[in-house]
Formats: sequence, C-alpha cells, structure tokens
Amino acid sequence: MSHEAAVITGVGAVTAAGCGSARLAEALATSQVIQTEVDRSAGYHRAGSARTAVTARHVDTSEWLLPLAGRRMSVGSRYAVSAARMAVESAAVEPDILSRASITTGTAYGAAEVTEKLLRQILLDGPEAASPALFTESVANAPAAQVAISMGVKGPNVTITQRQASPLLALAEGSAMVTTGRAPVGLVGAVDELNPLLHSVLDRFGALARPDHDGCEVARPFDGHRRGFLAGDGAAFLVLENQTAARRRGAQILCRVVTCGRGFDPDAPRAGWGRDPSALSETVSRHLHAAGITAEQIDLIVASGCGSPSADRIEALVLRSVFKDHPLPPVLAPKAVTGDHGGGFLAASVLAACGSPFGATPGFDEPDPELGVVPHQGGELPSPRLTLITSFAAGGAVAWAVLERSEE
Amino acid sequence: MIDRPRVVVTGIGAVSAWGWTSGDLQRGLRTGQSAISELTLFDSSAQRTHLAAEVPPPPDSRPDSIVASRHLSRADRFAVAAASEAFGQADLSPSMNPVGVFFGGSTGGMWECEEYVARLLGVRAGRPGIACLASQQINCPGDAVARQLRLTGPTLTISSACASGTLAVGAALDAIRRGEIDVAIAGGSDALCVLTYSGFNALRSVDPEPCRPFRADRVGLSLGEGAGVLVLETLRSAQSRGAKPLAELLGWGASCDAHHMTAPHPEGEGAARAIAAALSDAELQPDEIGFVNAHGTGTPLNDISECRALHRVFGPRASGIPVTANKASVGHQLGCSGAVEAVATVLALVHREIQPTAGGGEVDGEIDLDVVLEHPRSIAPGSIGVSVSFAFGGACAAVIVADWTIGARS
Repeated sequence: MSHEAAVITGVGAVTAAGCGSARLAEALATSQVIQTEVDRSAGYHRAGSARTAVTARHVDTSEWLLPLAGRRMSVGSRYAVSAARMAVESAAVEPDILSRASITTGTAYGAAEVTEKLLRQILLDGPEAASPALFTESVANAPAAQVAISMGVKGPNVTITQRQASPLLALAEGSAMVTTGRAPVGLVGAVDELNPLLHSVLDRFGALARPDHDGCEVARPFDGHRRGFLAGDGAAFLVLENQTAARRRGAQILCRVVTCGRGFDPDAPRAGWGRDPSALSETVSRHLHAAGITAEQIDLIVASGCGSPSADRIEALVLRSVFKDHPLPPVLAPKAVTGDHGGGFLAASVLAACGSPFGATPGFDEPDPELGVVPHQGGELPSPRLTLITSFAAGGAVAWAVLERSEE
Repeated sequence: MIDRPRVVVTGIGAVSAWGWTSGDLQRGLRTGQSAISELTLFDSSAQRTHLAAEVPPPPDSRPDSIVASRHLSRADRFAVAAASEAFGQADLSPSMNPVGVFFGGSTGGMWECEEYVARLLGVRAGRPGIACLASQQINCPGDAVARQLRLTGPTLTISSACASGTLAVGAALDAIRRGEIDVAIAGGSDALCVLTYSGFNALRSVDPEPCRPFRADRVGLSLGEGAGVLVLETLRSAQSRGAKPLAELLGWGASCDAHHMTAPHPEGEGAARAIAAALSDAELQPDEIGFVNAHGTGTPLNDISECRALHRVFGPRASGIPVTANKASVGHQLGCSGAVEAVATVLALVHREIQPTAGGGEVDGEIDLDVVLEHPRSIAPGSIGVSVSFAFGGACAAVIVADWTIGARS
C-alpha cells in the first residue's frame, strides 16, 4: 500500500452545455442556464408544477459514442461512456494502464428512465412484456459497466448511490483505489438521467423551483427567496492517478486531491436535511484539522447550494461554523447553472479548482440573513491554491473534498 | 509496506427466509434444506415462475418496534433489524462515533415505489401518495441504519448489482485501514419486488423449482431477500473495550469482466482476478484458503464460469476445496447476497462447520469442485474462507475471512 496523493489528469463531461468540459466552462463563465421543457404528456405532473430542467438530452454525443454502439444503452450509460472517453483522451491514458483502471461512479437516482419504462411494461402489459434489455440497463451500475465494456476497463468497478453526496463519495472511493494501489488509474464519474416521472416526483416533494410570477423557473442558491432547485442530468468523468506515475508519463496534472471527508447527520429526515449544523461542523472542522488544513488556507469554496431552502441552510450554517471568525472565501454555487446533478457538479468543481472563471450566480438577488452566505457575484476570482468542495445529501449523508491546483 | 491495522468482526446480524436473526440463518443453513417456497408477497400468477425465498413476518417476540414501522420500506426494516442485532452483539454504542455505515443494495424501496407507480398509472385503485417514496432510493436502508443507531461516520451505499454487499464490506475494510474510522457497520439489504422478479424471469434466468447450484440439472436461480450485517473494527479497538472477535477480515479484492452486461466471462477471468486480488490484499497464498462460499446462483453459465475461476486461482487443488452455495437455501438476495454470505462465512468459522448446499441432484460432471452436500462439513480451527460475488455488468468481488477462535494469527 502506498499513500501518495492522487492527482486529476483528465476531465470529460456531457452536460446541457454540450460535450466537453470547455463547453461547461463557458456556460459557467457566462452564467448561462440552458433549460428545456420537460415532457409532461404522460400526465404525471400536477397543475402549477415545475416545467423545466437542465438536461443534456439534446446534446449530440455521436463523436464519442456511435449511435449504433449505444442503441441498447440507457441515456445515462450513453452520457457516461461519452464522458469517460473524453476524460481518458484528455489524460492520454495508455491502453495497458487503462485496462487495469478502477471505475467508481456516483449516481443520485440511478436508471430512472429505464426503470419507469420497465415498470410500465410490467404493470400495464403484464410481467411477460418485460424487456430483458431494459432490465439489464435498469441496474444502477449499468453506466459504470458500459464504460468498462466499451473501453476494456477490468479493475474494480463500483457504483455509489447516495443522492447529492454521490459524486464526492465516488471521488473519495476512487481516490483511495489509486492511493492504496488497487488500480494504477481511477476513472471517477457521476451520472444521472432525468425523466418526466422523476421530475414530477421531485416536484411533488416540493424540491423543485416552480414558475415565478413571470413564469421563469430559477434556482436561487443561498438567496432569501429560494424555493427549490432545477433538476438536471448529464455525466462527468475524471482520470485519477498517483502523482509520481502521472509525472513519470508526462501527464498534465490539473489538480491534486488533498483530502476527502464524509459524515452523516442522523437527525436528517429520510428525504430532507437536518436543522442543527453543530455536529456536522465539528466533523468537517476536525477532518480539515487532521489533514493539516486551516480555514484561512482555503481560497475558494464550491458549494452544493442549489436553491433548496433546507439544503442550502444547513450547508451555509456548517460552512460559517467551520470558518468561525474568518470571512468565507468566494463561494461558487455551480448548480444554479448546471442544475442539480452529480456530473455537472463534479466537473464544475474541478474547473473551479483549476482557476476557471465563473460568472455571477444566476438567480441570487437578496441574501438570506440567517445564512449569511453570498455566492459569487461575478468578477475576477482569486487564483485558488486550495478549493473546498462540499455536498449535503437529502437523507443525511455529507461529503467534502479539498483540491489543490497544480502549479505544473 | 505500510503497517495497517488488523480488522476483526465483532458482531453479525442477518435477516433471511429462515428468520430475523443470524441464529435463524445458521440453523436454517445447516439443515441442508431450502427455504425457497411459494411466493406470497405479490401475485405471481402471470409470472413464469412462482417461488422465492421470502422473509417471514417478524416474530411476536421481536422487541423492537422498528421492524413494524410504517415509515420504513421493507428493505429498510431488514437492514435495521440485521444492523441492530450486529450492533447489540458487538456491544457498540453511539458514544463510539464516528462509526461508518457501508451498505450494499440494488433496489431500495422499489417494492413500495411499485405501488405508487401502479396507482399513478391507474392499474390499482387509490391516490398515489408520495410518503412511500421517501424510502424509495437505494441508499435508504443504509441511511435508516445510521439514523436508527445514531451514527455519524461516513455513510455510503454501493449499488453494483449482486456484488454490492461484498464491495461494501471491502470499502469498509479500507476505510478502517486508512484510519478514517475505527468501527464500521458493513452489509447490505434488499427486498423482493415485482420489477426484479419480472426482470429475471424475462431473462429466463429463474428456475421454476428451488435452485440447485452446481447440479447437473440446474436451470436457473431462485430470488430471495433479506439483509446481512457485520460489525468491523480494528483489533485494537475491540481489545481496548473487551469485545470478543468472531473472526478476522483479512482482505478483499475486486475486478470487472468487461465482457457482457449479464453473462459472466466464460473462463471466469474477472472472478479469478478478484479472488487473486483478495489473496494479495490478505497477503495469503492460494493454498491457505480452506473453503469457498461461492456465488453459486444455479444458472448454467454462472456456475461453470465460477468453477473455472476457482481452478484458475487454486489450480488442481480447486477440486478438493470444500465449496458451498448459500443461495440454494436462502435464494439470491441480490444486492445483499454478498453481505449475507459473508455473515454465513463467519458463522461457518465460529461453528467450525461449512453449511451444506441445499437442493438435490448430482453435481454436474463439468463442475470439478468439492461441493458440500446434505450435511455440514467440519473444518479445522484456524481455517480461512473466501466469499465471492459476481454481478450484472461484470463486477466481481471477494472477501477473505479467518477463524479467530484459536486466537490471533501472527
């Protein structure tokens, strides 16, 4: 076992902004929210419910996955294979090393669309109508498996489902695969697919931003008038490897994974967030201290703030408590642009840690006095050395990571 | 080589078709009988098959109300019951926080979700209420455990189909070795549901009779449900608080076939690499393994592939290593099968007997393995067992567990 730091040497993404991290970077820099109408023809939605989402459905991925090759894949699997291929190409991973790589993928909701189709077949037409192909793709690990099959990746293959904490938990587990020597390279990804049923259920739970008086649906992270998040989907993959190995092969190091932490709030309700930040604050503070990181060393925060009243509240209170007397560094809330899905969040976090510019946080107008967090309002950001990334999942799971920008 | 802490098992819990405790599991497994019977949870009249290893209602003597809670899904209740048993046996308390929860599962509250969708589609009467969906997600059983036991450590759910439970045990072991935590609840939970029952039938993977792993006339698997949980902690932690180790977790390994979404590699390539990785992680030679708790589903392709994998790893000695397949008794518990089988492996070491593989018939002539049949097989003190799991998408995983009753291994 070695305990050398893992570094990130490749990024790939399929988001509403298009294929590739450059497209996402452009959307984040210009605060461009690419929303589309969700198909409501199935009748799942109620009157007055949310109508839009930030999905990657319209994105042409054929450059990365031929339509014929992806014809039996779920939408999520197609996103994942495309994003993984981009990441591997950007990192220029050699085939022999790639064949021994691990794959660690996070997903909040799994194969939502395939599962719905399969349930409709079974419930409306009887169990004999169930499609074997759909059933195969209904498992949460189908995207990770399709990445492995399509690229010949034979290392450990793990899928994590922990709602909004999934991408950072995947980063933690994937990083450990590399640092403990279980794999020479780790592909770490996040993937989600949004369908009308999932969108309607999220809306019925009151989780989504509904139309304002002017008909617009806007996520307002940390705003005093936030009402919910914008649902989204897409995928992102990162390439992780040991720093020494990356240097040896001349790979471009984007950033270093300094530490990953995680905890749980047992007071959180099953589908919501807890109210008391004290225990989580202590957990995060203790972890950062053990990693030798002080609050004043953090140059930038990428928050999972999405516009959810209770999620943004607990995250803001924890962050303020962790930083105590120190002013918060700039806080980015990329989900205002990407929608709430792990792939967009994961890729945006790496872009932020690498110093990519971010525009003003869409939808933020008025601070919430209880929260005391004002997300980035545009303008130049400091060139970060250390970036703290946090994610607070419905149900109580929490994960965070610190990335260090590479000087190489 | 960096020193790493030794990790022991100080508590186990299980829910299966044999009952709501690990004692029920052990008593059932050692009979050599199958708990697979007529499915009653839902109407199977339109299905190709009609059997399953269904968990019976909780006994009246069950003191905790959690198993009857309407706020939890069926899979949540299995998880909490098994975790509570293990937590109690290990004599843990929330004062030991941060305690981690590493769970495996594949469907979460799908059984309850199906009711919602059926009402939404007008197939069943009644208003579709969303309360049942609060526990629909796959992470809900693990979350329910952390919430019920007031645990604050890392909590994550792995959903890599039928390898989930084994991978969760491995992830917990690594988290302890890294020093992130001293104690973890590791396991998995899954419940029967119409979706998986119909799906496996659509694949023509289900045996209309109770499954018969490794037998010549095997035609498929039998579905089951339940939960399995192990309390893992550093030996130092266990010794400092006077907890009695039941077994030692020596290592784990994982791989991927990268071959096909449902079919295993015909030569067991990925499975062999997972077992070899576990041996390497445990710093063991193949000849130190005393028995195998096989994935053993009873499908023609799985069992022959698994046999070839064992021969790849163990060579000619594979023919003489005792092999058991718990799925013949408690069905294929999908995302938690690896966790339940890890519990069964600990039980085998504690009781010094390998549980037999239920189901009649001759062992397939192509299966050159020493399958334990009919009666429990005694094992020597100090034995080491490997429990293996394979999954849709080619995920393979193995954990290695050693007897503790003779004292510390050097």
